[in-house]
Amino acid sequence: MSLKSYSRARAIHVMLVYTGGCNGCDIEIVNCIFSPKYDAEQYKVFLTWNPREADVLVVTGPVTKHNEKPLIEIYNAIPEPKAVIAAGACALMGGVYKNIHGDIPSEEIAGPVDKIIPVDAKVPGCAVRPEDILSGVVAALPLLLNAK
Amino acid sequence: MNEDNKMTDKKVIETEITMGTVHSAAIEPYRVRLFVEDEIVRDAEITVGINHRGIERIMEGLPVEKANSLTEKICGICSNSHIWNSVLVAEKAIGIDVPERAQYIRVIMEELERLHSHMLYLAHGSEVLGHETFAMRFFYIRETVMELLRMIGGNRVQYGVSIIGGVRPRCELDEMRILKIREGMDIIEEKILEFADRFVSDPMIMARITGVGVLTQKQAIKLAATGPTLRSTGVETDLRREMESYDPFEFDVITQDDGDVKSNLLVRVLEIPEAIKIIRQALDNLPGGKITNRSWEMQDAPITKSYIEVPRGKLYHSYSLEDGRVRNCIIRTPSITNIGAMQYAAVGHHITDAQLAIVQCDPCFTCTDRAIQIIKI
Repeated sequence: MSLKSYSRARAIHVMLVYTGGCNGCDIEIVNCIFSPKYDAEQYKVFLTWNPREADVLVVTGPVTKHNEKPLIEIYNAIPEPKAVIAAGACALMGGVYKNIHGDIPSEEIAGPVDKIIPVDAKVPGCAVRPEDILSGVVAALPLLLNAK
Repeated sequence: MNEDNKMTDKKVIETEITMGTVHSAAIEPYRVRLFVEDEIVRDAEITVGINHRGIERIMEGLPVEKANSLTEKICGICSNSHIWNSVLVAEKAIGIDVPERAQYIRVIMEELERLHSHMLYLAHGSEVLGHETFAMRFFYIRETVMELLRMIGGNRVQYGVSIIGGVRPRCELDEMRILKIREGMDIIEEKILEFADRFVSDPMIMARITGVGVLTQKQAIKLAATGPTLRSTGVETDLRREMESYDPFEFDVITQDDGDVKSNLLVRVLEIPEAIKIIRQALDNLPGGKITNRSWEMQDAPITKSYIEVPRGKLYHSYSLEDGRVRNCIIRTPSITNIGAMQYAAVGHHITDAQLAIVQCDPCFTCTDRAIQIIKI
């Protein structure tokens, strides 16, 4: 493990981007990092709102047309190495908002997330459980820590 | 033409600060334009519509049972309110009697949801204030409610309790569950009073929130603010007083007079013991019998409306039924008028208070984006 990876493992910054879901997953993720019950901060996982200091990008929601461009810009602003986690049914496959249209192009929804930016880990659930979010972040960690 | 415009614009404010659509200060995507003069906000403009997903369009033509469960996906905070109101519309349209026990369970769920929504508001408010410790404390007691919701509905966020004619069989309250709810209420009541006491007796916090983001009573009524936002300006209004389901319960309507951030926070804090009071009354007098009335037949109905009081204010659902399918669906959430009112609350205050003034109405932008206006050019 290089020195960079060694120090990175002690301060993993998670950025949450909300792209038009129902708020459920969003609050569960904040809950999983902030609330004393799950308390991801004890594993040195911190929540940030600045893409330039983030390591992990957590995306929730089906990505509405208005949110497509900001999402790409945020993804590009995160320095390498980075990992992207799509959390929740909407982010994985569009949820109820996308699937209702089948393969017909939707007027409102541009997503799911992996159409727009590459996704490394997928966390299912409607809404996601805080335990699953932690597992998802852990699953994406080798990408960050083994990077040169 | 240009000269005319110049004549009407008396004062041109040059400095404009734009936030959004994704911004570090705002968790949900929305856009705020603040027109600033000497660091004082002179005008504010909030744009919603970024989250529009067209759920009414999706509901159109679906069987009514499916459409009801779709309304839950409008909002992850007050999901029970949406499904409850949507089910109420169908029950009103077809004329279904709901067993009394089911109505009590619905009220208990709604009040549990009010508890977790208000605690989330207090946590979010503390975070915007910059007081992360309080945010963590409120998240800590909110976890008790989330566990109760998971126990009853099976899911932490979208629990789908109401179905047409009653509640889901899974959500039956047996002795064990009633005991656990009572224990949870004791914990919350003890902790919330302790935290509220600390919150109010902290001079730094009170100095930061007193007199900030003032919305006068006249403005609030004119801009049709609803729920706790309107109650914080001194108007005693609560739709729960007129709802049939709340008839057996006694509770006070909390009002404050100032209309600033302090009043908004206090209204929500003081509504938490009232919600606990309603839950305890419901558990004490929980009637026996069935929880679902399955003897009803689908029939066509004209457009039927229903209003209920949800944690943020007044929620409106309406649709008509054709061959068991939903038509002409309209949903109107309380946040839309509350956010409109907040454009006025932010004016006249320092720019650092603008975000605080906007979140004081407990905005839920995902609820808000219901309708789009089509402009022909």
